[in-house]
Amino acid sequence: MDDSDEYISDVEAIQVKRRSTRKSQVKSDLKGANGGYSWEDEYQRSWDIVKEDEAGSLAGIVSGLIESKKKRIIKNVTPFQRGIIRNLILVIDMSSSMLEKDLRPNRHALTITNVIQFITEFFDQNPISQLGIIVMRNGIAQLVSQVSGNPQDHIDALKSIKKLEPKGDPSLQNALEMSRGLLLHVASHCTREVLVVFGSLLTIDPGNIHKTVKSLVEEKVRVKIIGLSAQVSICKEICKKTNFNDESSYKVILNEHHFKDLLTEAVVPLPVNKINKSFTLVKMGFPSRVSQDTPSFCSCHSKLTYGGYVCPNCKSKVCSLPTICPCCNMMLILSTHLARSYHHLIPLKNFEEVPVADEYDSTQCFACQSEFPDFIANKTTSSRYRCVDCNQHFCIDCDVFIHEMMHNCPGCENI
Amino acid sequence: MKFFIDDLPVLFPYPRIYPEQYAYMSDIKKTLDVGGNAILEMPSGTGKTVSLLSLTVAYQMHYPEHRKIVYCSRTMSEIEKALIELKGLMEYRTRELGYVEDFRGLGLTSRKNLCLNPSVNKERKGTVVDEKCRRMTNGLAKKRIQEDGATDVELCEYHENLYELEPDNLVPPGVYSFERLTEYCKDKKTCPYFTIRRMIPFCNIIIYSYHYLLDPKISERVSQELSKDAIVIFDEAHNIDNVCIESLSLDLTNDMLKKASRGATSLNRRIDDVKKTDAKKLQDEYDKLVQGLSAQEIINNDEDAMETPVLSSDLLKEAVPGNIRRAEHFVAFLKRFIEYLKTKMKVLSVTSETPTMFLQKLKELTFIERKPLRFCAERFSLLVRTLEIQDIEEYAALKDITKFATLVSTYEQGFQLILEPYETENATVPNPILRFTCLDASIAIKPIFEKFSSVIITSGTISPLDMYPRMLDFETVIQESYTMTLAKKSFLPMIITKGSDQVAISSRFEIRNDPSIVRNYGSMLIEFAKITPDGLVVFFPSYLYMESIISMWQSMHILDEVWKYKLILVETPDAQETALALETYRTACSNGRGAVLLSVARGKVSEGIDFDHQYGRTVLMIGIPFQYTESRILKARLEFLRDHYQIRENDFLSFDAMRHAAQCLGRVLRGKDDYGIMVLADRRFARKKNQLPKWIAQGLSDADVNLSTDMAIANAKQFLRTMAQPQNPKDQEGVSIWDINQLQAFQLEQQHHQLAEIDGDGDVPMLTHEEELELAELNDL
Ligand code: SF4
Ligand SMILES: [Zn+2]
Ligand SMILES: [Zn+2]
Ligand SMILES: [Zn+2]
Ligand SMILES: [Zn+2]
Repeated sequence: MDDSDEYISDVEAIQVKRRSTRKSQVKSDLKGANGGYSWEDEYQRSWDIVKEDEAGSLAGIVSGLIESKKKRIIKNVTPFQRGIIRNLILVIDMSSSMLEKDLRPNRHALTITNVIQFITEFFDQNPISQLGIIVMRNGIAQLVSQVSGNPQDHIDALKSIKKLEPKGDPSLQNALEMSRGLLLHVASHCTREVLVVFGSLLTIDPGNIHKTVKSLVEEKVRVKIIGLSAQVSICKEICKKTNFNDESSYKVILNEHHFKDLLTEAVVPLPVNKINKSFTLVKMGFPSRVSQDTPSFCSCHSKLTYGGYVCPNCKSKVCSLPTICPCCNMMLILSTHLARSYHHLIPLKNFEEVPVADEYDSTQCFACQSEFPDFIANKTTSSRYRCVDCNQHFCIDCDVFIHEMMHNCPGCENI
Repeated sequence: MKFFIDDLPVLFPYPRIYPEQYAYMSDIKKTLDVGGNAILEMPSGTGKTVSLLSLTVAYQMHYPEHRKIVYCSRTMSEIEKALIELKGLMEYRTRELGYVEDFRGLGLTSRKNLCLNPSVNKERKGTVVDEKCRRMTNGLAKKRIQEDGATDVELCEYHENLYELEPDNLVPPGVYSFERLTEYCKDKKTCPYFTIRRMIPFCNIIIYSYHYLLDPKISERVSQELSKDAIVIFDEAHNIDNVCIESLSLDLTNDMLKKASRGATSLNRRIDDVKKTDAKKLQDEYDKLVQGLSAQEIINNDEDAMETPVLSSDLLKEAVPGNIRRAEHFVAFLKRFIEYLKTKMKVLSVTSETPTMFLQKLKELTFIERKPLRFCAERFSLLVRTLEIQDIEEYAALKDITKFATLVSTYEQGFQLILEPYETENATVPNPILRFTCLDASIAIKPIFEKFSSVIITSGTISPLDMYPRMLDFETVIQESYTMTLAKKSFLPMIITKGSDQVAISSRFEIRNDPSIVRNYGSMLIEFAKITPDGLVVFFPSYLYMESIISMWQSMHILDEVWKYKLILVETPDAQETALALETYRTACSNGRGAVLLSVARGKVSEGIDFDHQYGRTVLMIGIPFQYTESRILKARLEFLRDHYQIRENDFLSFDAMRHAAQCLGRVLRGKDDYGIMVLADRRFARKKNQLPKWIAQGLSDADVNLSTDMAIANAKQFLRTMAQPQNPKDQEGVSIWDINQLQAFQLEQQHHQLAEIDGDGDVPMLTHEEELELAELNDL
């Protein structure tokens, strides 16, 4: 994976630290302070241990917290061709194991909440992509939300299944077969992805799941699984085989926080693999918006509507963008969508922290104009982040906002 | 990587080495240097085999003595694995050294596994294959064909083709796994079995099962030629005492006696037939015996030497006594002996006697003397050969009787005859078994310690180490138990002493059927089935207990509940059924269904089957696997150990139970990239922590020795989550794995320590500045 999430980097840091202590100590000191393993303790340490510094102020610690938040978004910025038009089938476990209360309030409720957030983020970052939702319940796979580019439909569907009680056993095979079916006619320039949120430790399948995995590999469907309790070998196998022997697309959560991180990670498009790196040209239409006085039928829902977008190719009317024109199959998007997807192709470079010094050549954030706090006294941080291209200084909030939302540097735009 | 242990250059076929591997190799070298025996406990999955091989091969190639290596393992698959490791090692050596060493490494297994002759290898029973082969390979048959063109005998062409080759080069140098050798032999149309057998004297290393060294019936034929200074290694040797005992023990049943009688009658018929057609043959044999030749000498020209059940040192080198020289007299003698045994079996009470007592009574009632009895086995083999008996199956029972006769009349000390008229405690129909059992494990292994200067006994679980030298009556120069260095704690041992309801759990005999305990064990199983992904292995102390607890679980609906999470498979005494169950188990573990395997601590599964990775994420030991203490054999053995070796009954029982428990636990952890939960569920385990192998005990924190089910489940859940996180291989570096620099730094440090010790007055040796820097740097890694 090219994105190192916080959890991993934290563990690394700890282990480096531990290694430098006495070796023999490592053997005996695997237990952490509060009974768990020490690396978990340290994983949460920034939230647990809030201490005042000498001056009696929490500022230093708070900025430390922000720091760790910032770390989360440091991405690998090497430009990479990625499959930007994504087709993702989201598979949600709704078997009885989702009733477990090891996640609050229970696995099912938290999953749905997190997934809703995921959907929002997903369409925010991948505006011209498509998504569908399947649930595994009572041994069967059920399509609860059709493949489409409209986040609201999905969110509505999710809200309605939130009330449904998880029941029975899951069947990965059924879910994967259904996903296969849904992804079958996806054009070759788009990705075919499946993301499974899997709470169970077993799957009750009607047939041989290994065969399903084989066809997934043949059809270049890439499966990512987020496990909620422990490592299951079949999941590992599915992920490994469908991701060119890379096991890292199978992850198991440590706690609620980690769960969210893993979902966030799935928002970022997969790098296009080396095997499939041919370039294709995609035909897209940029429809214009119309508003009408008399309602006319839209071609997507066959409903009477007062406006919408008109396909430049066949002149049929659709309700929302982005979508595939139901009549001529052309991809219809807005130019802003394309711009937002574009940042995955050439990500914005990370800002550098300005080293602590006695004096700085800036007093305000270039973007929001707020004054930089006077941290010279405690000398832990300069609170300034510099764009490596335009050399402007930004505050941490703007840095995060620029990288997470804007994907363009205001300083560079200004030149 | 290449490094030195003292003056010995060792080529190790991996770029990195575990610290425990290095310690292990250093200790082996020390043992070999001073000469003597060692007992070494090396955690499972730490590359024991490759360390053993790298060091001994290096030792052999470096020093001018070129000591031969004899490596004994348990099963054919383990031997094959060792051969493959050896092959990799030799390839690596070639690459490093830049030339091919003159080296030959072979493994030996039974004819049944190796035979290529299509008319023989279809047989399913090993003994039949052996016998059929013998018939086609013995010198007599060949002579007959050459001399009078006999057509009723056939020769095995695979065997004949070997004569075309130079006798010391039946297979070119190199290391051959069974697979590779069979390929080679198929190509050349030669017999793999005899290729190996005849090449043993020309091998640098021979890998085979214990029996080829320990069992007198075969060791004489196979291992005779090994030289004194050979390095003998027993791997997976935690049960070596039982192998020793079994190789000298024998059970007789009514059925066997009946078959033996029938065998004797048909043997008589054969003798009559032969007398009519070819009387000369029998006369020849008789004449030779009269001349005072021993049976051994008479058959000596044969391919196979004598098959005697007793140790070579106890073999009588005398002529066969007069009253059994004639074939028909011998058969009559046997018949009398069998009749006596039959009457003996009619006794309806348990009797236990020493061989001396047995012989005395025998003499009183039948006038059978001790001396001719001692020759029974020999005499029988000779007769079978003289009569050229084709169908040895028919005489298998008779052969066992002659073995028994020889054994019982050869040994006085350390053996016991026990007659058990009823199979079980409350059976009413007698089904007597006469057990001739060896009580002293040291008898069978003694010749090995006497003959070879260095014997290394090693296993993953062989604690407590000092028990073995006592039981087997030998001295060691090194006894060591290594701990496992891990960057990430990859196994979680726990002792559960009570259920979630705080009621103590135990498999103690008096309370084991108490419903509350059974229920507690049941809910523990349910909980673990719920949280363990893929494979879960459960061990019970005995079949009997397993059956009773399973039926109780059935009625408590516990199994239905488990079924929701896992398939349930059960080990049975039937090998084929168990194999099938295992196959299903493995499939279920890899397709996501998940399975529980219910098995027995002393069964096949606990000994030879590995449950690596998904095949075993949790192992549950339900109860302490004590031996069945009412067993008379065990009682006799305990008594013997107490009287002769001052080992207290309870010490031995506890030791034996814990080694089996450890063996079961070790099944789930087969390498450093593996992980698993090990649960010991019995209140009494809490006091036995120090009897576990050091590497397991070290992972068992004090907080985990007295858990209730719910606490254990919480621990386990957390552990599984942690283990599922991606591992960074870098974490292990320097801690649990060394590259060459780190190893050298360690060696350097060690040298300084030694120097400091030699200095005596505690002076810290002066380091040069560079050395100091180097050390500091490496310590920081
Ligand atoms: S000589 Fe070899 S091939 Fe021939 S029967 Fe015996 S074992 Fe088989
Ligand atoms: Zn519409
Ligand atoms: Zn159109
Ligand atoms: Zn700002
Ligand atoms: Zn800029």
